[in-house]
Amino acid sequence: MDGKTLAEHTVEYGMNNGADYVEARFIDSINENYFSRNGEFLSIQKKPTKGLGIRVLMDGCLGFGSVDSLEKEQVEERVQSISKMAQLSERKEPIEFSEEKSVKKNWSVPTKIPFKDISKKEKQEFVKKLDDDIKKCGSKKFSIRNKIKNRILFFHTNSSKKYIVTSEDSKVHSDESFISIFCVMNAETKNDKEQRMFGLGGSSGWEWLKEGNVRDVILRESKKLVRSAEEAKKVNFRKPLDVIVGPEVSGIMAHENVGHPSESDRIMGREKAQAGGSFYRELLGIKENNDAKKIDLDDTGVDIGSEVVSVVDDPTLKGSPGFYLYDEECVEARARYLIKDGQLNDLLLNREFASCFGTSSNGAARSAGFSREPIPRMSNTFFEPKDQSKEELVEDVKKGVLIESFTEWNIDDRRYHSKYVGLESYLIENGRITNKMIKRPALEMTTPALLESIDAVSNDYEYRMNFCGKSDPMQPVSVSTGGPYLRMRNVRIE
Amino acid sequence: MIHMMGKRFDEEILKTAVETALRSGADEVIAKLVEEKKYQIRFSNSSIDVNKGWDNHYLDVFISKKPRFSLTRKIDTLTIHDPDEKKVKKRVPKQVRFLDQLPKSKLYWGMDEEPHSSYPSIKLYDEGMEEFHKKGPKLVKKMIDSADEVGAKNSAGVLHSGISKTGLLTGYGNGGEYESSFCRGTIRAFHDEESSGQGLVVTRKLSNIEKKFEDAGRKAGRLSRRSTGAEQGKPGTYDMIMSPTVGANLFGNLLSGTNPIMMIAGMSCLRGKMKKKVGPEELTVKDDSLVEEGLNSRPFDDEGTPSQKTTLFKDGEFTGLIHNTSTAKFWSFINTIKLKFWRRAKTSSNSILGQMGMTGTEENPRILLPAPSNYRFDPGSYSLDEIISTSTRPTIYLTSNWYTRFTNMSEGEFSTVPRDAMFLIENGEIKKPIKGLRLKGNLLKMCENMQAIGKDTKQVKWWAVDTPTFIPSIKVGGCKFTKARGKEK
Repeated sequence: MDGKTLAEHTVEYGMNNGADYVEARFIDSINENYFSRNGEFLSIQKKPTKGLGIRVLMDGCLGFGSVDSLEKEQVEERVQSISKMAQLSERKEPIEFSEEKSVKKNWSVPTKIPFKDISKKEKQEFVKKLDDDIKKCGSKKFSIRNKIKNRILFFHTNSSKKYIVTSEDSKVHSDESFISIFCVMNAETKNDKEQRMFGLGGSSGWEWLKEGNVRDVILRESKKLVRSAEEAKKVNFRKPLDVIVGPEVSGIMAHENVGHPSESDRIMGREKAQAGGSFYRELLGIKENNDAKKIDLDDTGVDIGSEVVSVVDDPTLKGSPGFYLYDEECVEARARYLIKDGQLNDLLLNREFASCFGTSSNGAARSAGFSREPIPRMSNTFFEPKDQSKEELVEDVKKGVLIESFTEWNIDDRRYHSKYVGLESYLIENGRITNKMIKRPALEMTTPALLESIDAVSNDYEYRMNFCGKSDPMQPVSVSTGGPYLRMRNVRIE
Repeated sequence: MIHMMGKRFDEEILKTAVETALRSGADEVIAKLVEEKKYQIRFSNSSIDVNKGWDNHYLDVFISKKPRFSLTRKIDTLTIHDPDEKKVKKRVPKQVRFLDQLPKSKLYWGMDEEPHSSYPSIKLYDEGMEEFHKKGPKLVKKMIDSADEVGAKNSAGVLHSGISKTGLLTGYGNGGEYESSFCRGTIRAFHDEESSGQGLVVTRKLSNIEKKFEDAGRKAGRLSRRSTGAEQGKPGTYDMIMSPTVGANLFGNLLSGTNPIMMIAGMSCLRGKMKKKVGPEELTVKDDSLVEEGLNSRPFDDEGTPSQKTTLFKDGEFTGLIHNTSTAKFWSFINTIKLKFWRRAKTSSNSILGQMGMTGTEENPRILLPAPSNYRFDPGSYSLDEIISTSTRPTIYLTSNWYTRFTNMSEGEFSTVPRDAMFLIENGEIKKPIKGLRLKGNLLKMCENMQAIGKDTKQVKWWAVDTPTFIPSIKVGGCKFTKARGKEK
């Protein structure tokens, strides 16, 4: 039986077996990995995988399972076992899904050059050449000393065909394509050492490498890494000062301080034993889970940042790392203003938690593969750019620090106490970025303090890619963590 | 005998895979067949959210080919889901042909060629686990009720369980079969939104299983109640007592640096520390794949090398790396070039066909690399009560943590975020619960500054600890704690 027919049979079989709702996701994917260290390949691999993920709602209880076999009997056995297991849950409060219209859609990631049209040799050559160019960034002419001692490149492509069918007569077929490169670099100079880990990626074909200026961005970052190791000096700032953070830092802030606490499953406690809860629960006045239905998400009345702060999560951006047009519950994707003009405005909702909030899903259900359940996730989360240039942001700073990139970061499990340590960082004096590099400036701030300190947002925007981790078993999904420049007034640098 | 398993498990597939690969031109082959059933219950707000099950049946085939006049080889791994003879005979030769298009892997130096006639006998399987998932919801309820009885208001957590059968055959005739089962649970009990405690169950066997779940629930519930009314902690330097859960996370990051791959990738702060003192006399840590309760235990690794114990730290000295045959040969070669002839390395039976990739799911390709089995700390001589009562300087007791991130992994500079109950100890007594602090440190300095190692060893594995770790409570001196600032005035 082919995957599409099997998925449809699964839904029919599950409903005949007494389920209230069945959803089947068939995924046929090819992953290709090129993993090199200092120009030598540790592995080159191509892996095709097919599998079926099945979700069943039965008497208000949820069951999920997957099979890597496409045999009808195996799948039927699995459906029966998932349905029985779901019923064992014996929930007092039944799980309900929000009402959504059924859809029949095909969508695809726009691609010009499919990965299959590029030979393995060409892919290898791209990685080798990139490594060679990074190496040159760490060497002076006529010198054998290379300051980027360690260069790990992980180049990845994924092509997948996905077919999702539900018992509510929704059928969505997608043709997806994703490409990424993750770099780990260690620079060692006579003065100090620094390490840089960062990723670039996009929903695209092979053309992304050229259109995304991938090589140029990586080489620019390589040079800056060497410079940071060579020149940056520790400075103790005794008084609060102004800080401007670049796209990479503003992106991780949007992700950690705003995106994660906006995930509806966290607010309702479902991730509490893993990725944690959300301080939004208190902000929204949710004491018991039933309180969520009383909240008007169109007008929360909760101020959380300065008026210039608007944070958007938008899966519909073509070419972006978190691109999709229909989510994994067959709900049409749309941009979500998580914060609008400083006010908490929307959450990331799938059907289960949209129902808890008495509203409709906004298409945030994602999963990392056929063997994982769809849950609320971010896509491309960023501070909405405004109208000033980076230079205009700097002009108005008497003394401050510009942080372009970061190394260490973390945040507590309610997403309230955050920390970001800068890597490429410069002193700003009298409205000018100086050549003086600052060693590892640390911003350790609560989320409200961070969002309230922002008084200007630039009109520049740059993508970064990351894999966001959540759930159990872990579900890394590709997201964008870029954004514009932000100016933060009167904050402490440790 | 496994009753539930093995329906689809056909060991002849291993022979077919190895013979087909060798006949097609591969020099070396590993065929690994796995059939597994895994289950999971997730719960929150003291109610089950989802009940999950996975059925996996796959064959991994690792192949290598050595070009003439070369020290290194070309390598590749193929995974066949739901394998049968037809699929194997069709796909393996194609994969061997594909090797010709690949460059040599400079890090692959060959696998274990020595024949092994016997393997250690370890009992990794409890028959009762076959039907365990049906009892899961009742055990979850018991764990939640136990937490509630001692003061929790609601709980969240997870229960994982599973059974598996693994068969292995290499081109050198090594391998065999083994069956294993496991069960692990986490409960995070809440007295209120900011007062919580965690309890863990990690085991292979069903003996006393109800009591294990009740104990975990009670522990989490008690901690949630004791952490009620926590005050913002004051930033500064304190001595610190780490629960086994915290120690497994932090020292697990240090121990991951005993992997030669992490060393050459610039992700180990142990580089250059071999045979040097890194901790107190009491610090001895092994990689132990033979401890029966260890969730990563096995009779042999994925090269068919008999499992063994490898001492990583002995009496405070860094003594060993976790190698497979390939990295051991590579390491010996490098040491020979550096004229350190006495530093020959040999495999520590840590070769694993592990997933390598970004998706974190079955879709990732597999690669043969050294990987830890179970870390095992030798117990010290103190009880937790003794460690607390002898803490006369201001001391912070951490019961759990997460989000450990590094400024530079090769230096070991990190910070981590405490979660769940955290207490301030003064004059040998727990004075009050505290909150809102972050630990900033250096793994090597923390190791040097160990002041006491407890005897309350527990096996830890949960969401923030990947490698099963047998570890007691540990006290470390001079740790820096910071806090996030609110709005400046």
